[in-house]
Amino acid sequence: MSQLDILLIVLRVAFGAFVPLCFIAVLVWMERRGAAYFQDRSGPNRANIFGFRAGGLVQNLADAVKLITKEDVVPGHITHKFYFVIAPVIVFLIALVSFAAIPFADVLILDGKEYIMQAIPTDLGILWFLAVAGFAVYGIILAGWSSHNKYGVLGGLRAAAQVISYEIPMGLAVISALIVYGTVNLTEMVQFQGQLLFGFIPMWGVVLQPLGAIIFIVAAFAETNRTPFDLAEGESELVAGFHVEYSSMKFGMFFMGEYVAMFTSSAIIVSLYFGGFQIPWLATDALVNNTRLVSFLLMLLLPVLALLFGAWMSKNNRSHYPRENDPRVREANVYAKIMWGLVIALELLLVIFLISGSGGMAARILTAGLQIVTFLVKVTFMCFVYVWVRWTLPRFRYDQLQKLGWQTLLPLSLLNIFVTSAIVVALS
Amino acid sequence: MSGKIKIMERKGKDLYERLYLIEVFKGMAVTFGHFLSNLLDNSKLYVRHYPEVKPEITARWRGRHRLTKHEDGTMKCVACFMCQTNCPAKCIMIEAGERVDGRTEKMPVRFDIDLLECIYCGYCVEACPMDAIRMDTGIFSVTGDERKSFVLKITDLLETPGAFTEEEYKKGGA
Repeated sequence: MSQLDILLIVLRVAFGAFVPLCFIAVLVWMERRGAAYFQDRSGPNRANIFGFRAGGLVQNLADAVKLITKEDVVPGHITHKFYFVIAPVIVFLIALVSFAAIPFADVLILDGKEYIMQAIPTDLGILWFLAVAGFAVYGIILAGWSSHNKYGVLGGLRAAAQVISYEIPMGLAVISALIVYGTVNLTEMVQFQGQLLFGFIPMWGVVLQPLGAIIFIVAAFAETNRTPFDLAEGESELVAGFHVEYSSMKFGMFFMGEYVAMFTSSAIIVSLYFGGFQIPWLATDALVNNTRLVSFLLMLLLPVLALLFGAWMSKNNRSHYPRENDPRVREANVYAKIMWGLVIALELLLVIFLISGSGGMAARILTAGLQIVTFLVKVTFMCFVYVWVRWTLPRFRYDQLQKLGWQTLLPLSLLNIFVTSAIVVALS
Repeated sequence: MSGKIKIMERKGKDLYERLYLIEVFKGMAVTFGHFLSNLLDNSKLYVRHYPEVKPEITARWRGRHRLTKHEDGTMKCVACFMCQTNCPAKCIMIEAGERVDGRTEKMPVRFDIDLLECIYCGYCVEACPMDAIRMDTGIFSVTGDERKSFVLKITDLLETPGAFTEEEYKKGGA
């Protein structure tokens, strides 16, 4: 093993482990500020460090400190303390591990060697996700049961019933996607989506499999226990459902697990149906061969984006009441300086890249970087859809949920398989 | 005589609505409109920036109590115990003593209101025959570090001025 091999292994595993963790903070922030904006409120925007609020991100730190320093109560009536403690760990860990098989960039070729850009470079792909993600509900069931609390048990039961009814349509939707892609390997699936349909439409899964995409997304919402399918913690009837008895960081684990699961399932939705790391109309080969043009366009695009963002920030990051020497304006000025510093640094990097010959390794690394950014942007947008749906739709009633799962999604996904396979057979 | 019967049309039965997804997208469009307009200009938020911008308090608002005075600065209270007797929360504690300023015979030497017990019902104000106790200070948030600080003494009650003019207060229905 060369040093490059070891470096890449470390980088890939670090990406697979830390990016979902970092995204917890981003997603909690997005959920709270997003919810507020959907409801015409302002959300948590006061917590600060030396006057720097980072748009409310600092609130996460305050929440984390609060959760960690809270008293960790294990109620006296709990007989199976081991299961009680292990349950949040299962939920969190499973969510994290299921991200491991998702590619965040195309296969990186350095010095003639191929590196699959997944935390675990496995061929199992979607099977890994289906196998591992199904386990997450065990944590919820265990939490509900070991809480020895009727609300907890009801929450756990609902979660179990829901996962059973929604894993079937989900699996069937994946089958019809597999018929189209002809592989279970997620990297190959995303490579397939880099092609063009009729020469101008990106061949994304959502174009080839619109019904499958809808079924999969609905089922993925149910799998992550998000509204409109969050019956397991329906607070109006079950207080908090499976995590009533949990406090402090044990509750924090459930909370974080929910967001990691949201990130992971967004990543899988993006990989299966929205072209994963592919930039539309720019497949990996096109990117590698035209790096000069791409980096030149990037150099033009970066300052424009920065200008727009700066204008937006100076308009909105100020106090909306009379205030002398508005500290928020000062804050925005500091952010603007940091942003322009970053832009200049990136421009310099791109200039160096343009001058010092853009062939070989540098071009491939630039391509991988761009694909990672594309992937993260797509996943962030998908997570925003999760938040968006949560603050739009009311929760389903339990019988409505089962009816939707068994009487609508299941027949539809079976129909989808028949239609898809008929078309695939007819075309081949 | 038969009443008029109006049969309400049941919504959500036709195929268009039972497809559900179209209605979902409509709802999402509505919420996204709100999100976008707030994101592009956050001064549109229906938010009062509370500690800096105080809410408007009307004269009828039952805030923290105060004891009123005559024009010459002597207190109106005659220690008749009406408010203490009338208080459903039993938060008023009066001790009567001899009056020294010559207006009547009695005045309170101790007049404590335990704000932790008080339910801000305003019965003390209504019961008072002398218009000596009022809840027109406009103070709506009382904070403190310890329980003792919530027991108001007679001096605290006399010191606080009213937040409204006499006319405004009377207009409020007192």
